[in-house]
Amino acid sequence: MLEIKNLTKVYGTGKTQKLAVDGINLTVERGAFYGLLGPNGAGKSTTIHCITGIAQPTSGQILVDGVDVVTDYKSARTKVGLSPQEFNVDIFATPAQLMNYMGGYYSIPAAERKVRIEELIKRFDLEQHRNVKFQKLSGGLKRRAMLGRALVHTPDLLILDEPTAGVDVEQRRDLWAYLKELNEAGKTIILTSHYLEEIQYLCRDIAIINHGKIVAEGTKEEFMKDGKSIEERYLEITRADDKKNSV
Amino acid sequence: MNWIGLYTMFRREVERTMRVVIQTLVAPVVSAALYLFIFGTVIGAKIDDFAGVPYITFVFPGVLMLSIINASFASASSALYFMRFTRGLEEILIAPFSYFEMLLGFVGSAVTRALMVAFLILAVGMVFGAVSLVNPLGFVFYVAAIASIFAMLGIIVALWAEGFEQLQALNTFVITPLTYLGGIFYSITMLPPLAAQITVLNPFFYFADGIRSSMIGYSEANTMIGLVVIVGLVLVLALTVTHLFKIGWKIRS
Repeated sequence: MLEIKNLTKVYGTGKTQKLAVDGINLTVERGAFYGLLGPNGAGKSTTIHCITGIAQPTSGQILVDGVDVVTDYKSARTKVGLSPQEFNVDIFATPAQLMNYMGGYYSIPAAERKVRIEELIKRFDLEQHRNVKFQKLSGGLKRRAMLGRALVHTPDLLILDEPTAGVDVEQRRDLWAYLKELNEAGKTIILTSHYLEEIQYLCRDIAIINHGKIVAEGTKEEFMKDGKSIEERYLEITRADDKKNSV
Repeated sequence: MNWIGLYTMFRREVERTMRVVIQTLVAPVVSAALYLFIFGTVIGAKIDDFAGVPYITFVFPGVLMLSIINASFASASSALYFMRFTRGLEEILIAPFSYFEMLLGFVGSAVTRALMVAFLILAVGMVFGAVSLVNPLGFVFYVAAIASIFAMLGIIVALWAEGFEQLQALNTFVITPLTYLGGIFYSITMLPPLAAQITVLNPFFYFADGIRSSMIGYSEANTMIGLVVIVGLVLVLALTVTHLFKIGWKIRS
């Protein structure tokens, strides 16, 4: 479903140059629920930005379903849905408008879009807030509106960058159930989160990025084989890597 | 071609225009009405007919052009800059638009708003009895081409600007002076020879002359030079903006 081959991303030039992603290789199979972990600034969001077209890879190749995201970007973008970490929206638009605009950008005919938006508004319990400006919504409602926007064109690959940040426990559980349901229905999901219990609960495969490189990759069972939680294993791996990098 | 996507971009700009209707539609109409009242009715009453038409009819195409330029430039520059500022532009970047479709979407949206303003000002002009239209096809061509030129300039400024002050810079220091010096309120024949020679180097002179000739049938510029300037600017700016979108200048990190 997703193949990342030797991806490198450098921001800036000259003295301000910063290597954000350093030769990453990653394969996410169709139907996977994949957790991408790493500390702040490790390269998770940059990798996601390169997949979705928000950033341009410096070198390397990214294929979504065999389609190159740089050379055949139009086709590749129809296959991917993104709920980003930051609220990258027109704050004066309503959840219904945001979904409608995004559906339009993805060429979904108006009648089909209308049905889809109704489903999503109902699924994310946004009926009472469908015509409220985004800036007036609570953190949890904003996250739900972002998810609705990411799903409006029914992408094959759904990328969720911190989708439950600011969401209360009850809503988070509800969202987890929905994501499981989506994955069981065949949707490939890549999830980044600082809530490691979320990763442990949802993901079957996990990779850890640190200092722009993949430092560990495997199944959830492999990560937890010594009876450790994902959080304990994550800290062990990243601390060891930090130590190695500081030498 | 992503037609539904493009239509969505146009419709979104119309909704954005209606959301701030006082700023986007009422203000230009009030300004145009004041220009027509002062230059047309008050001062124009003391001036003899010019080029076979009343002075108000002579200045009306220039007033209309001024409004079209302001509307298309402001629409493109403010919409794109705001999208950069809020990162809402990422909605467009991740969507299946080619770079040329992005150009069409932003320019078409700005031209849509400019046309909304133009229709309202035409209505005001009719109230003042200032509207004449001898070449409707030519009028549509000049209005669309001029609105497109300033929409594309607005896009370039929105990409370049790092703050609201820079966003206004081109308008304040280039567009407004060149518009007023491009003969929108006067005939080139009223100028001293040197000023007239300098004026023909001002592309805004050809914009004003093109719209005026299509409305009242009076032209002071070489029509062929005017067409080359206008079509040339449209092509050069379209290639430039498409290239900037392709390399992701200031929008793709």
